[in-house]
Amino acid sequence: MDQQTTFSQSFPIKGGDFVNAGTVSVKIKNILKDIGVKPDIVYRISICCYEAEMNIVMYADEGILDFSITPENIIVDVNDKGKGIENLELALQEGYSTATERMREMGFGAGMGLPNIKKNADEFSIESELSKGTKLHFKVYLN
Amino acid sequence: MKNVNMLLNKIKELIGGKSLTSDILLGREIVYCFGADLMSDVLRFARTGSLLLTGLTNNQVLQVSEILDLKGIIFVRGKIPDSGLIEEAERRKLPLLASDKLMFDTCGILYSNGLKGGKSLLEVKDGSANNIQPVVSD
Repeated sequence: MDQQTTFSQSFPIKGGDFVNAGTVSVKIKNILKDIGVKPDIVYRISICCYEAEMNIVMYADEGILDFSITPENIIVDVNDKGKGIENLELALQEGYSTATERMREMGFGAGMGLPNIKKNADEFSIESELSKGTKLHFKVYLN
Repeated sequence: MKNVNMLLNKIKELIGGKSLTSDILLGREIVYCFGADLMSDVLRFARTGSLLLTGLTNNQVLQVSEILDLKGIIFVRGKIPDSGLIEEAERRKLPLLASDKLMFDTCGILYSNGLKGGKSLLEVKDGSANNIQPVVSD
């Protein structure tokens, strides 16, 4: 973790929990808004967090979203335990989705999740291991 | 055609819709609209502070509305969310309208009356997205 971290919080997220899905991202949005972060940065981080949160709810067994703020950056690490991503290149392609028919009925499966995170973040990296899980790291610069 | 600002009350009248939440919320002014059923598309392409037209009636429309500070939702194709969602929207002061018309037709009515889509956050990278705050907060 960054030595200059001024605030950090970890949020556990349960796979398959569609009732609470999205609440972590809304909490993070409110924290950023309350401390006076610029609106466009608040939107970008909230969109990234929502997509990451929904990925855990839809595809993983469980995960943790670690969120920290330094004077220069907002940093988010999302680690999940689950089936992992078979083809990262495809998963990062806009429109590609492995969502089931049931998930599509619930408004997911646009194939925009990871591409949305990548586009909104200033730094983005992803690692995934089949049958183990996925690690996602992204950062948005405050200045 | 020039982009117009329009009160939700007027929008309700134009689409022949009904209000699912308190009428007091219909005094809200709308500048941008967006139509989609997939929430990631809303997050990627909608202008923050838009009025959302959708056929999706689950809880995720509320979460996405919160994230993008959406100013209201029109449920199209006669879809009505459950009472729990309507109560939660009322609590959050998020106006909900319902229309029996199709998505295409509802969007067409609003567009032909001067409402437009607006650019998403990613298309407005010059910092002007920060100027939308007066639009999204009442």
